[in-house]
Amino acid sequence: MRRFRLPPQILRLVLLTLGIVGTYLFARTLLVPQSFGEYGWYRGAALEEIASRTPVFAGKKACDECHADIQHKLDQFEHKTLSCEACHGANREHALNHDVVPMKVAGSLCLRCHEANPSRPAWFKQIVVKNHYGDKCTDCHLPHQPSQSP
Amino acid sequence: MKTLFNRRGALARMGAVLAGVLALPVARTAKAAVQNFFTSSGAPKGYDPTEHKWLICLDATKCIGCGLCAEACKKENDVPMGPYYRTWVERYIITKPKPGSAETRGETLVDSPEGGMHGFPECPVPPDQIEQSFFVPKLCNLCEHPPCVQVCPVGATFKAPDGAVLIDKNYCIGCAFCVQACPYGARFLSPVTHTAEKCTLCYHRTTRGLKPACVEICPAEARIFGDLKNLAPDDPLRKFYESNRTQVLKPHLGTGPRVLYAGLDEEVR
Repeated sequence: MRRFRLPPQILRLVLLTLGIVGTYLFARTLLVPQSFGEYGWYRGAALEEIASRTPVFAGKKACDECHADIQHKLDQFEHKTLSCEACHGANREHALNHDVVPMKVAGSLCLRCHEANPSRPAWFKQIVVKNHYGDKCTDCHLPHQPSQSP
Repeated sequence: MKTLFNRRGALARMGAVLAGVLALPVARTAKAAVQNFFTSSGAPKGYDPTEHKWLICLDATKCIGCGLCAEACKKENDVPMGPYYRTWVERYIITKPKPGSAETRGETLVDSPEGGMHGFPECPVPPDQIEQSFFVPKLCNLCEHPPCVQVCPVGATFKAPDGAVLIDKNYCIGCAFCVQACPYGARFLSPVTHTAEKCTLCYHRTTRGLKPACVEICPAEARIFGDLKNLAPDDPLRKFYESNRTQVLKPHLGTGPRVLYAGLDEEVR
């Protein structure tokens, strides 16, 4: 009986196919990023890259580590919903290194929220500046306990 | 006569090339592993995006339009100066209808000067002409089915397992298809990097256990942020859910936003 031999044209076709598939697989390993497909149809390492930014705002918890007394005061009064950095500015530098002096707070900050504006919700305390007493908010209001006078 | 090539030599060379090709992926993996070990990217360790599902709730009845959120966002994310905002506040002014017009309301005026970053100018309508006026904070709606991800021709933008829709800056080609596709106008082309930019849900903060800058800074608690997969019994998110009737922006588009609003008017889009 004659031994079966693959016809040469088929053999060439098989070799060619293997060559094309092999080249494709090789090119793919080179071109597809390492972490592609880790979570989905994208580069998983991108998540880490985006997360590697340094935060600018420290957050209320960081302030609480040293200034718990002031936060305790704040929590008893109307300004309890305020984050420290809403008025005192972004101070992560100060939170990480206490030698960095935080920014000084200026008075016009009060009006940013409390200036009367018809678009503001009615429950929110607002003043018309020219009809309101005095010219310095802190003469009558303690910023941390706004309903108390100094 | 001595030939340049002989069978043994050719086979050896072919073998060497094949070995090199096979070794390449292994070498790449090893290199990446070594790099991972020796260089710290500054990214927080131990954050697993599949363990979280973030949600943002916005209470339009509480927003006082101070614009601290828009300002904080610019600072926190180094958003380019100029008309580029990842979050902003809109002011809606709905006027009274003309007498005898048989309509419930008049014109709707919407403005957002500098994204509301420095507050709002005086109301352009006299107070007695205003039917209703309110502020609406806006940001990326963290869609469950984000149109911006669908249109990206290079797959540079994607929805992370924790719900954040992010952009891979290294692969973005700046074609701005996504800017057009976003029905909420939450994207823009950065004039600095010439790539698309958007709210990242302050990914560098949330992965560190901090709240996004806009939520952190909001003095009126109009922005509530939480993790649906790890809800505490007294979570503000849960409280918000229970005490408010919520809605999303443009529900008819089927984008499935993960940003819920309370107290919206039908005029808000």
